[in-house]
Amino acid sequence: MSQATQRHDDTDEETLIEVRNLEKYYGDDGMFSPPPVKAVDGVDLDIKRGETFGLVGESGSGKSTLGRTLLRLEQATSGTVSFDGTDITTLEGSDLKRWRRNAQIVFQDPESSLNDRMTVGEIVREPLDAHDKGTERERRKRVMDLLSRVGLREEHYYRYPHQFSGGQRQRVGIARALALEPEFVVLDEPVSALDVSVQAKIITLLEDLQEEFDLTYLFIAHDLSVVRHICDRVAVMYLGKIMEVGETEELYEDPVNPYTKSLLSAIPRPDPTDESERTTLPGTPPSPRDPPQGCQFSTRCPAKIRPEGFEEVSEETWDAIERFREIVRERTRVELGTVDRVKRRAGLFSKYDDIDEAVKDLFDGVERPPVVDDHLTYAVEQVKAGHPQDARERLHEAFGSVCDRERPAHHQVGDRGRESYCHRHREEYDDVESAIRR
Amino acid sequence: MEEPTSRFDEDSTLRSRLEADPEPALRWAAVMAALALVQIGSLLGGLLSILDAAVVGVTAIFDVLFGLVGLTGASAAVVDVQSALSGAVTTARDAAEGLPTLLSRETIPNQGHLASADGPWVDTFLGLEPALAWAVRVLLIVGYSLFTFYWLFRGWLVFRAHYRQADWTPTDDMIDRLRDHRWGQFGIFVLALFLIMALFGPALGPTTVSQNIVSPYSHEVTYFNADAGAVETVAAGDANFNSKSKGAGDQNVGPMTYDNFNRFHPFGTLPNGRDLFTFMMGGARITLIVAGLAIGLSALIAGGLAMVSAFYGGNIDLTLLTTADGIVSVPRLLLLIMISAIFANHWLAGVLDGGFLLALIFAFTGWPFLWRAVRGPALQVAQEEWVDAAESFGQPPRTIMRKHMFPYITGYLLVYASMSTGGIIVGLAALSFLGNGLGITPPTPAWGRAVSLGQSYVSGPSWHISFIPGAMIVVLVTGLNALGDGIRDAIDPESAGGDDDEAAAGGGA
Repeated sequence: MSQATQRHDDTDEETLIEVRNLEKYYGDDGMFSPPPVKAVDGVDLDIKRGETFGLVGESGSGKSTLGRTLLRLEQATSGTVSFDGTDITTLEGSDLKRWRRNAQIVFQDPESSLNDRMTVGEIVREPLDAHDKGTERERRKRVMDLLSRVGLREEHYYRYPHQFSGGQRQRVGIARALALEPEFVVLDEPVSALDVSVQAKIITLLEDLQEEFDLTYLFIAHDLSVVRHICDRVAVMYLGKIMEVGETEELYEDPVNPYTKSLLSAIPRPDPTDESERTTLPGTPPSPRDPPQGCQFSTRCPAKIRPEGFEEVSEETWDAIERFREIVRERTRVELGTVDRVKRRAGLFSKYDDIDEAVKDLFDGVERPPVVDDHLTYAVEQVKAGHPQDARERLHEAFGSVCDRERPAHHQVGDRGRESYCHRHREEYDDVESAIRR
Repeated sequence: MEEPTSRFDEDSTLRSRLEADPEPALRWAAVMAALALVQIGSLLGGLLSILDAAVVGVTAIFDVLFGLVGLTGASAAVVDVQSALSGAVTTARDAAEGLPTLLSRETIPNQGHLASADGPWVDTFLGLEPALAWAVRVLLIVGYSLFTFYWLFRGWLVFRAHYRQADWTPTDDMIDRLRDHRWGQFGIFVLALFLIMALFGPALGPTTVSQNIVSPYSHEVTYFNADAGAVETVAAGDANFNSKSKGAGDQNVGPMTYDNFNRFHPFGTLPNGRDLFTFMMGGARITLIVAGLAIGLSALIAGGLAMVSAFYGGNIDLTLLTTADGIVSVPRLLLLIMISAIFANHWLAGVLDGGFLLALIFAFTGWPFLWRAVRGPALQVAQEEWVDAAESFGQPPRTIMRKHMFPYITGYLLVYASMSTGGIIVGLAALSFLGNGLGITPPTPAWGRAVSLGQSYVSGPSWHISFIPGAMIVVLVTGLNALGDGIRDAIDPESAGGDDDEAAAGGGA
């Protein structure tokens, strides 16, 4: 770990990549098309030259899309990515091709990332061919050189990917990424498809290569311990948004964002005397087609701010209400068929009668004080009548807090460039730690 | 699978590898040279014919283009160049065809006649009777060709065993699987046989298309007239007139019999007295040219568009889908008949006796089926990360499709192409069967026409007229399907049916 901090001190503080308000939406914006999937939903990032920047998050959080958008494998919907001062989201034609030499990618799955009808030599040489680098002979020499640098042998030149193990294939992928001498390499979960014993070797190789070629890495992963080992700074992503960003050790030792806290508490600790409580997240992330109006994490947040007027409601009841809201939200995403619509109009709709079961389960042994009971009863009726959207809106009106209504800002925490995306950092609210402990 | 060291130095060239161990290559080349030498005349003749066709074709395109933009002077100049070049090539070809060729009608003649009622045979090979002389020639030609095909394959095996840099490639596995696939090999054998018929048609028949079918009154037949007891000469057309197969006992020349003019008919004669075997060989040539052109074009269009729709997706894919559905929604035979009728008097209808136009129609009505079949695999490859990788270092889309997608869909393209070729062959036969300006223009032989001619004699002694062409179409189409099966199992062993494979896979797992 000291190695990580030390390495950080070596890097000059010059910014290589500056991402501002980057958005990547999938889907058409036509009048009749469903709302777009907001894979990357307004991201600001600075990646410094020579550092290893980690990007972690659950699957579906948009971390791979962010990486691919930085490489122009996806066209950004809006926002800018400036690479060494050039905005690369607008590059076209030969400018784009020339820029591509600077940024390469290593993929997660070594089975899919190598064309297995080509020999290893051809695969590694292809970037050189595409950019007409040197003569035939020079290219070959360069490929041989690259192969030995990544720990393969020269005679592997004429072998096919089929003849290699996963780890060896990943080395080929790394050699290909380095062929054009890029400054910046996106490592998209480069070790998660490999055996644990091989993972360590590939990580070491990546570290060595970074030193040798002065590379800047964007390390995308869901394995938190690998990230802690290799990265200088880390950003935590959830539903297309950066929740917290900061220096690795600081962030791991003392997470300030509720999402980071719960994510990190999921890492098993080998210390039996460790008393810290695990924060388990309820439910699943909401659909990126229909993200919450306020904070992206508000549907699952253990430190969610309660609106005024409900101070007397017990913790259990409040939890049950939040779970109930999630169930209603899920219901609103189901498209009704024609028959159901007709039934709804005729007042014969019975498809959602099971909501009674759900409410019974949720509020079993939990008191329902009068301040909440009216709203709940109304919501249940609306759902049963086939109008979950009405129920959802009523619940939002009644129980929605600042977390449900407003997007938080990125708050500076500490003095080392740490930022966290949470309303709790505003002065009028209790801080995250005490909110979770409650 | 891995060896400690590779077989060759990493920097060696094919030449240096050949020089290091020339023996296997030399042995192979010696046999190949001998095979080529005995047929040098027809080999050069064939190559020059192709060159001639290419010259005519390319200049014709320029001619048409200049004509379109109104440069009549340039157009006339092009015609001059065309005739000059074509003339030169034709002269060279005639010279080449003058070279002695082992397996030709001239070296092993079968057209002779009896000197008297009891023989001997005159003008035939070694004085054998025509049936035997013909059989010898046919066996030699088929044997020679099959061996040559094998030897070409053998050449690849020698290269793989002795000179190739890579000690293993994915293609090796496919070839090895095909080598164990009897049904697929049957397909290859059938296709080879019909290719031989198309290539060597003029030498295979007991007589030739021009002598017997196209201009029978410019050729003469010498025969022993049993009634007159003397050797007489008659025009081939007159001989044909008296050798008709019309179902009656005295008007039938069945398979493997002689007619009254000392001519041997392996498949009997047609109702107009022409030799069915010669007719079939001529038909094989036109059938395979049309089917090959059509399926080649279809596959080219289908493969290209499948990659385009998979790579770009979205609206381009949707447009293609709509176009393809539009073409498919019109019944194919109807479309064929309509387009043939529209182009009936167009110059295109004259090329290859109407075959070229048919090939174009088949190609443009057939690609949607192939496109649909390979679009799936193409979509699958387009999702692979190596396509993203190629994009990430700036490879242009064209190169990505060629290098990273095409190799994965060729297999599927081959499978579906060989299966749809059967449909084209049947369709072509159907058009010729219908006649009335459809199909191949008479008198150029076409299989469908033979079936049609024999239609009314199917249940009599002249059954051979419809049956043999029909059976040949069935065999060829079956063979092509078998070939498709074989290729499919070779490229994708998991798709192979049968319990044996599953048991073996289970045992290995």
